[in-house]
Amino acid sequence: MDPKVLVTIILFGPLIGAITAGLFGRRIGDKASMGVTTGFLFLSAILSWVVFSQWTWGHLEPFTVTYAPFIHVGDFISNWAFRLDGLSAVMLVVVTTVSSLVHLYSWGYMADDPSKPRFFAYLSLFTFAMLSLISAADFMQLFFGWEGVGLASYLLIGFWHHKDTANAASIKAFVVNRVGDFGFALGIMTCFWAFGTIEFAKLFPLIEASVGKGWDFAGGYFSLIDLACALLFVGAMGKSAQFFLHTWLPDAMEGPTPVSALIHAATMVTAGVYMVCLLSPMFEYAPVAKTIVTVIGAVTALFAATVGLTQNDIKRVIAYSTCSQLGYMFFAAGVGAYQAAMFHLFTHAFFKALLFLGAGSVIHGMAHEQDMRRYGALQKYLPITYAVMTIGTIAITGLGIPFLDWGFAGFYSKDAIIHAAYSAGGAGHPVGYFAFFIGVLVAGLTAFYSWRVAFFTFNGHARWTPEDLEQHWHNRDHAHDAVHDDHAHGHAQHETHDEPLPEAHHGHGHGDHLPHESPWTMRIPLLVLSVGAIAAGFAFHHQFIGEHNGEFWKGAIFNAPAEHAAGHHYPLWVVLAPIVASVGGLLIAAYMYIWREGLGAKLAANNGLLYVFFYNKWFFDELYQATFVRAAKFLGDLFWKGGDQKLIDGLGPDGVSALSVQVGKGAGRLQSGYVYHYAFVMLLGVAGLLTFALWAWAA
Amino acid sequence: MISADLAHAYPELILAIGALALLVAGAFAPKQTTLVGGGAVVLLLVAAFAAATQPLGVAFSGALVTDAAAAFSKVAIYLASAVAIPLGQPWFERRGVKTFEFPVLIVLAALGMGMMASSGDLISLYVGVELHSLALYVLAAMHRDNAKASEAGLKYFVLGALSSGLLLYGSSLIYGFAGSTLYSDIAVAAGQQANTGLLFGLIFVICGLAFKVSAAPFHMWTPDVYEGAPTPVVAFFAAAPKLAAMVLFARVLGDAFPAAAGQWQQVLVVIALASVAVGAFAGLVQSNLKRLWAYSSIANVGYAVLGLASGTSEGVQAMLMFMVLYMIDVTGFFACLTALSRQGRSMETIEDMAGLIKERPALALAMTVFALSALGLPPFSGFWAKFYVFKAALDAGLWGPAVIGLVGSVVAAFYYLRLIKAMWFDSSAGATDRPPVEAKTVAVGLALFAFPLVLVALTWLDPAVAKAAHAFGLA
Amino acid sequence: MIIGLAHYLAVAAILFTIGVFGIFVNRKNIIVILMSIELILLAVNINLVAFSAYLGNVTGQIFAMFVLTVAAAEAAVGLAILVTFFRNRGDISVDDASMMKG
Repeated sequence: MDPKVLVTIILFGPLIGAITAGLFGRRIGDKASMGVTTGFLFLSAILSWVVFSQWTWGHLEPFTVTYAPFIHVGDFISNWAFRLDGLSAVMLVVVTTVSSLVHLYSWGYMADDPSKPRFFAYLSLFTFAMLSLISAADFMQLFFGWEGVGLASYLLIGFWHHKDTANAASIKAFVVNRVGDFGFALGIMTCFWAFGTIEFAKLFPLIEASVGKGWDFAGGYFSLIDLACALLFVGAMGKSAQFFLHTWLPDAMEGPTPVSALIHAATMVTAGVYMVCLLSPMFEYAPVAKTIVTVIGAVTALFAATVGLTQNDIKRVIAYSTCSQLGYMFFAAGVGAYQAAMFHLFTHAFFKALLFLGAGSVIHGMAHEQDMRRYGALQKYLPITYAVMTIGTIAITGLGIPFLDWGFAGFYSKDAIIHAAYSAGGAGHPVGYFAFFIGVLVAGLTAFYSWRVAFFTFNGHARWTPEDLEQHWHNRDHAHDAVHDDHAHGHAQHETHDEPLPEAHHGHGHGDHLPHESPWTMRIPLLVLSVGAIAAGFAFHHQFIGEHNGEFWKGAIFNAPAEHAAGHHYPLWVVLAPIVASVGGLLIAAYMYIWREGLGAKLAANNGLLYVFFYNKWFFDELYQATFVRAAKFLGDLFWKGGDQKLIDGLGPDGVSALSVQVGKGAGRLQSGYVYHYAFVMLLGVAGLLTFALWAWAA
Repeated sequence: MISADLAHAYPELILAIGALALLVAGAFAPKQTTLVGGGAVVLLLVAAFAAATQPLGVAFSGALVTDAAAAFSKVAIYLASAVAIPLGQPWFERRGVKTFEFPVLIVLAALGMGMMASSGDLISLYVGVELHSLALYVLAAMHRDNAKASEAGLKYFVLGALSSGLLLYGSSLIYGFAGSTLYSDIAVAAGQQANTGLLFGLIFVICGLAFKVSAAPFHMWTPDVYEGAPTPVVAFFAAAPKLAAMVLFARVLGDAFPAAAGQWQQVLVVIALASVAVGAFAGLVQSNLKRLWAYSSIANVGYAVLGLASGTSEGVQAMLMFMVLYMIDVTGFFACLTALSRQGRSMETIEDMAGLIKERPALALAMTVFALSALGLPPFSGFWAKFYVFKAALDAGLWGPAVIGLVGSVVAAFYYLRLIKAMWFDSSAGATDRPPVEAKTVAVGLALFAFPLVLVALTWLDPAVAKAAHAFGLA
Repeated sequence: MIIGLAHYLAVAAILFTIGVFGIFVNRKNIIVILMSIELILLAVNINLVAFSAYLGNVTGQIFAMFVLTVAAAEAAVGLAILVTFFRNRGDISVDDASMMKG
């Protein structure tokens, strides 16, 4: 079939599913809603792979389908369109594959939820928004998709809207993203103002000519492209939860786990990376912005990894891990290795979705307990989950054999990033070395916290009893508080410990009160993703980052000629550093959680300075609370009570309306009811008009 | 010669002879009110048809003008008058006033209004105005045993007579300084030199006509008469006579004084803005709906005058469009009031309407439509009416007045919304009587016109109105 | 002294003014208002006839005849309304006709 038709079906299938389930979900019932949305998603996923294979091995050339005009105002032109190129082809398979598997997974995971149609409608709506984001041919549609996924994310984080923490988390995600979107919108405006177009195809050729444009302002020099790119990157920071704007992502784990896997791990949060890669023709001419991207990315990678070391909530650890991996992608893009960034995005989608869904499977099996301190020795009860989680962990830690060039997915992409950073350092960008060292360090940290999750959950001794589980089923509401009491420092953060379930769940095969393996709808996605986690790197690294990657990307990614030294000539220690760090992390984790079980808990109980600092996420929430939130509240109070109520309402609406009523009453008093008064007014009118007319005509 | 002239006067002849015949019939069979009423409706419909099909031209040495504008407005006037009869007669009969004069008076008023619309001479102007005014005075006091109604009739009569005096005095001055009562002759005289006496007379005539359309500062009668007069009569008052007087306004200004457009424009702007302001502000404190709608009609007439004040053909077109769409709104609204009563007592205050949406959903919905339309909310008919007016005003460069007019409509929005709020959100004030079918039909039908039929109607109203507007002597 | 157009117009203007004042200065009897209205119409008639004579065309006089006729009808209608008012209220003082206001 014509690929233009294929991409159209891919794009609109999820929308049809979302509309059907969202508007008619109640009428057609749960099963039909789930079937329609999941069916369309699988259709989209299959067609995406068709398009992707044509792209990779066939002779598909980049194209753009224009559907309809969006905004045409003066010179400002934006169309609804589908732009297929290397980047969007990759994203297509990532988004539709993970999304379809998550849809299927949710059949099992959400089996007892009373509002399934709503959930599936949101998921499909998200997928549509994400697809319209990646297929945008101009900034406007990109922004539309950007906001669309933000909306879906907001709705899904707060899906369990009877939970206060979920509502707070959804609002937090929304507000923090607004900060990023503000920068993003400013960036778009800057582009339009400077270049007169927001269409990528028209914009990119104009970039080179404008190098050197800029202003001296406040003692510094600001280049136009740097400014635009930096502003756009602020948007990416918000969406991809980068340092300073990362605070919403861990809280977003309040949403159902499939949502965390789809939106907050595999797809939406990578939109920022995608945008930076898409805008490579701009970023390549923006050295300052690239430096910012590199530094922010590297710092995020380090920050999130350190926080991830200490968290006890299984989903939060993985959330910080996501944050950290996004940091990798950003600094890869920052040093100009967009291919490596995209490749890591691609592989990461598989293994991170796998880890999240695996975690979901554990949570599901453990009566929705999320605290790892109450896990342990689960490999016996959840063998499949154990297997796939181990695969995911191997993939994320990037285990492989350097000289054979063979390994799990993360091995290819992460090493490529770290190597690219090193070569950027060699090419005269000191931030490249900075990123390289952080990259290696974080590889070790990643290995430690990832294996910590695996060992803490599946190995060692059981830190739960069947009675605990039974208790958990019965007192789900109280369990939340009980776990909080166990925390040494729990008051500083609100963690998710369990996901609420409807009463119906109780008694459904939980009579034995032992952890149980998940249903097949949940297992199949896990197995499929495991294949991806194992093979995605091996299968595609030649296309994505090989010598001839240009044939794959077909111009979608632009590398300034001098920047990108072809890179397989690294010193041996550079080649080995990541894998050594990774194995080191593995060994330490094994030592602390298997061979000397209980050491971790002891360390935590010591309350070392560094531990407290990491455990409380570098005190970012507290810092923001003390500065931005309080300042905003103060300003809000000032504007509301002083400015709005007293000044504007007092002089404006309230004052004017009071005055109007007074005038009305005056007019009413004039209307005395006496004929002679009326006649008098008429005569005054005649005299007045005559006078006015004579005066006006004389003038 | 005479027969050719008569051909131009068929609608008037039909109504005049028909009214006399009905009067005789009624005198012999005073109880056959339904028959007389039906006959009056038929007469009006036939006259409307005759007006629509009559030859265009002038007759009686220019005293009677039958151009596109006359034809258009006569059809509108006759139809609006025809609606008033089924609305009013049952209302009177339910209140024990079983008289055959009501339809006859409506027919006579329609005759006078038709003459106003096609007057080409100050004498025919005066006769037309008086013919319709005298009928309206009587109609206002028609509910003879009601003290309020007779007071309303008295006030209307006294002030109306005063305004007729002003009109006449102005006419006599115009006649004296122009040497003729024919508009065409006056136009020539006014075009020759700036004649203060002539313009002096014009001001008096404008004042007299402003009274008839109830524009400020000649509006004082309106709230009292609307409150006192029987509701179906008000439904009639607020619609057809206003259109007739506005057309007459356009006739005098456009046909007799096109050369003085620069002068009368300024006067009309003052009148228009004063009307908008009075209507908007004084309405804020009203709780009686008939009074409230009186102020609303003052404000709305202000917009129509503003259209006329543009002094262009486009302005006249806007005025005609505005008046036609406004007639539908106001007739519909008073039809709702006619239809509503609670234990035999008329429901006239906003408090009476509390919770009406639950009691009488169709009528409450219709009233909501009329209120929103009068407020000028798109896509209701009132929005299009105002749209035409403001467009004409802006095209004529009347930026300031247009802005003030818009502010006025914002202020007036309050009382329309207050009514809607009472109907939709306040708790009900008790069960209402079963609405009479005629009034309800008229109300719902006109509500459907206000939205959505107006969107279709505009497609043929627009060219018709444009054609009518071009009949006047304005560019 | 030759009596010219200006004199007639002046008399008419004076009559007109008296009539107008009669309407809103008088606060007693509504009948007086009817008389004032007649006065205004008479002022107009004087104007019309004076102009007619001055201009030497007959239109003004025809107009005056119309005015006279209509004035008669107007007076009849006015008196009829006054009668119903009197029947309802038992009084015809001007101040009495103020039930409706605001």
